[in-house]
Amino acid sequence: MGLLTGKRVFSIMALCMMVGLLLLPIVVALPSPAIGEEAPAVGDEAKKDGEKVEKGRDVYYKTEGIVVGAPAPKTTDGPKDYPRYNFESRVLIWFANQQHLYYGSFVLAVPIFCMIIEFMGVVTKDKALAKRYDQLAYDFIKISLTAYSLTAILGGILIFTFLTLYPAFFSYLSGIFRPVMHIYALMFVAESGTLYIYYYGWDKMKEGFLKWIHLSMSVVLNVIGTLLMFLANSWIGFMMSPAGVDEQGRFLGNIWHVIHTALWNPLNLHRILGNMAFGGGVVAAYAAYKFLASKTDEDRAHYDWMGYIAMALGVAFLIPLPFAGYWLMREVYAYRQQMGITLMGGLLAWLFIIQATMIGILFLSTNYYLWQAMGRMRGAEKYQRYIKYLVFLLAAGYIVFITPHTMVMSPAELKAMGGQQHPVLGNYGVMSAKNGGINVIITTTVLSFVWYMRGNKVSTVSWAKFGNIFMGVFFVCAYINIIWLAVYGYYIPANVRVGLSVPQVATTLSCLFFMFALNSVMMRGAKQMGPIEWGKISARSQYALIMLATAFTWMMGLMGYIRSSVRLFWHVNEIMRDNSPWAYTHTVGFAANMISANVLFFWISILFVFWLGSLTAKKVPVESKAGIPGSVPQPAASH
Amino acid sequence: MGNLIAEAISMGWMALAIIAGLMVYFQVSISDPAVKKRAVFKAFIGMVSCLLLFMAIANYKTNFYGESRLLPVSLVMITVTTFVMALYFTNLSALLKIGGMMFFIAAFLSGYGNWLPQVEGGFPPVEEKVTWDTMSTQELADKGEEIIFGGVGKNKEQGAIGKGQCPLCHAFHAGMLGERAPNLLGLPTRKDRLEDPKYSKGDPSKRIYSVKEAFPGSGTAETVQEYIAESHACPSCYVVEGYGVKGTNDKESPMPVIHKPPISLSLPELAAVDTWMYVREGIEPPSFEEIVKSYEKFVPEADRPKQEEEKAAGATSLMADGTEPVDQIFAKAQCVACHTIPEFLGPSGQSVPSWRKGQLLHFALRIRNTKVLPNRLPTTSWNLSPTPAPLW
Repeated sequence: MGLLTGKRVFSIMALCMMVGLLLLPIVVALPSPAIGEEAPAVGDEAKKDGEKVEKGRDVYYKTEGIVVGAPAPKTTDGPKDYPRYNFESRVLIWFANQQHLYYGSFVLAVPIFCMIIEFMGVVTKDKALAKRYDQLAYDFIKISLTAYSLTAILGGILIFTFLTLYPAFFSYLSGIFRPVMHIYALMFVAESGTLYIYYYGWDKMKEGFLKWIHLSMSVVLNVIGTLLMFLANSWIGFMMSPAGVDEQGRFLGNIWHVIHTALWNPLNLHRILGNMAFGGGVVAAYAAYKFLASKTDEDRAHYDWMGYIAMALGVAFLIPLPFAGYWLMREVYAYRQQMGITLMGGLLAWLFIIQATMIGILFLSTNYYLWQAMGRMRGAEKYQRYIKYLVFLLAAGYIVFITPHTMVMSPAELKAMGGQQHPVLGNYGVMSAKNGGINVIITTTVLSFVWYMRGNKVSTVSWAKFGNIFMGVFFVCAYINIIWLAVYGYYIPANVRVGLSVPQVATTLSCLFFMFALNSVMMRGAKQMGPIEWGKISARSQYALIMLATAFTWMMGLMGYIRSSVRLFWHVNEIMRDNSPWAYTHTVGFAANMISANVLFFWISILFVFWLGSLTAKKVPVESKAGIPGSVPQPAASH
Repeated sequence: MGNLIAEAISMGWMALAIIAGLMVYFQVSISDPAVKKRAVFKAFIGMVSCLLLFMAIANYKTNFYGESRLLPVSLVMITVTTFVMALYFTNLSALLKIGGMMFFIAAFLSGYGNWLPQVEGGFPPVEEKVTWDTMSTQELADKGEEIIFGGVGKNKEQGAIGKGQCPLCHAFHAGMLGERAPNLLGLPTRKDRLEDPKYSKGDPSKRIYSVKEAFPGSGTAETVQEYIAESHACPSCYVVEGYGVKGTNDKESPMPVIHKPPISLSLPELAAVDTWMYVREGIEPPSFEEIVKSYEKFVPEADRPKQEEEKAAGATSLMADGTEPVDQIFAKAQCVACHTIPEFLGPSGQSVPSWRKGQLLHFALRIRNTKVLPNRLPTTSWNLSPTPAPLW
């Protein structure tokens, strides 16, 4: 009893300590003279002394403020502002930034998964399943712990690269963000402390009230992580759409304006979703690696299940990602129309064609994995014969989706074709067809998920027949509606056509939400045709997971590059000009090579991290690994 | 290929030598013939893989900045290497196959990126240093016309547009209707505007507009020239009826402040623009100093854009930087080869649609800052990409 009380006291103290760590940066920041309180103070003092107070107008908020910062430096190409090695500095900073970002995203996303899975374990009534979830959450956090120190090291390398290669720019940026720079550093300390307590306290706090305390710690951990990310986002938001400074780039004393720029919120949302999808991909790849390297059925079953959960979580966050992307783009257009045009219709537009290709790859891989996964379920055979139709729908949608509007041709080819658009294929390169294509792809993915979820089950509700017919009709109507709207778009003016994307997306989302919900209701208490035989899945499915993970990573690198290069020749848009010899935008090919190099370096290094993780002694926090003697353990009886 | 192998050997000779040494060691030290055969064969595979790996690195090194688009070949080589090794090194099979798969995906995406038309963003336009105060009135007017329309004598060309971007909204000649902003013909004689009660000359506080003064204490214009200057520096201080932002009841102007980004004309440039407005109507303009002074009344010193003296690094070879007239951009891009563009030079198009004026301006913006590398295009005769963007 005394021991238990002691543990409780210890747990509560640990939780309080975490909250304290979380609040520490805020407490430290309060008396800071740089938080924005400085501005009026300076003003008052200057008034007393009869000095002239210089005021500036915020470039974004249009409010007046007292100038408290130095103007953005006017750099010149030379060793003072742009010292360099015998290599392109921009490529070096690109590499350092991207690696830090990959690892940062990973270590921020995984604790969120961990929190969700641990919570599922706590609320699940099935004790065996709860233990499995707990083990899975522990496995997740174990992976992220090794990557965490690497993230910190890469952060250090990034700062040194900035200081060494872009001192003028970094000095200006750190001057602007001085009020929150130390908060960021302290948040990092808080994050580290919390993570270590969370990880090492796992065994001590595995049951009852202590488990809830432990779960609360994961919430605190994720709050800190998210705040960290928001702060980092404010820097890139400021570089793209500066605020809180006047036209000369002088800080006007209001740090909230500097942080809360036009693009900050959409960037925050987009990055959270992106990080989650990416994190899911990395964990799925880890599981795939462990599955392929497994020697026992037990391990294969565990990692098969782990891969499925990670993939499902990743895809769950992938689906809303395009909508967050739309919001970001809308805000970009609202901020500077020309910036939007450069992105979607100008210099960087071909990169969006690559993005379309990748989105298609992601959905194709997901579908392929689900079809393979149906193979481990008894009863799912009934869907196999219909998969060829899904393949047809996906392939047709994908081909339309990636068809460019115009193509590179020689004059002779151009003449032979009679124009830049092919008489047949050219029809599919327009937005109307593409909207139809992508919506067909997403709807088909939803259908694959629905089939997977009911693979080994037969509904026992009294209205099962009606429900099945309703679902079938709903999907058929959805396809007809999407395709009809796509065709109808050809016959109406462009400004009206744009509006058709709304009912198309609404149709897809209706399938997603209504059909998932209806399917769940129908499958409640359903008769099982047989258990899910975890581990009995083809090796090909694991390569689909690898494909998914690599494509996520590549797409993240691509979109990051697009977002960054839209500033063209500005370090800080319209405030601080880039006068280095690299103030131009690279070709699509160079960017693709660079992204590939970054992706491969990340994966080689993280495979090394996985390997390092496998060297540690196998730590089992719960007794679940023992399983039932003589049988292959089943990680979960359901999905 | 020979060069690549030579480069690979020169880079990786030590690794190759170690594997060769291992091969000899296995040959000598292993007594069991079957085991020996397997070990030597594995060493041989290792040597081939190692050579392929260094060839890939050599190719990467050679083509990193090259325009041959052969960089993804390195990734294909590594893909082959990993899969070959996975066949024989079963302990690491899973890791190697996963690595191979990743390299394959990266090779595909890199190859795809290199296959697409290669568009490169150029450097920002170089701003030439101009000695304004020594210019004659005509030189100043010419400079003004260039700023407005992109060139001397282009003021009557449909769609001609310069750095100032004025013709995007304003019309300049009799009979032309500016849909978004007033026609500027006769501007230097519009004294009546100053007498408009809504202008509230001498008492800006009584103005009904969203902005009362260009800056606190600037006051209102007393002369036509000052009115022009105020209109540029503070478009929302007075809005001509019917030309306000929709929904503001003509209390706010859609016009940007001309001395601020994104247009950022300097005071001398604004003086040149104004001089042209006078000269083209046969009116004697105020002196350069007087015009600049009129602007100084409405633009505080801190807000005045500085003349960029420093030259941006590197050469600029943009297809368009936004200062060219629209027809020039389209002529360069050879859009007229396929499209029918009303009132623009070039042959009529064939089977592709005509473009309207609004679309032209939109497309001109789209290809701004776009440079297409001539040596990456299908033929030498086609020196610009037929498609600056996929346009979807």
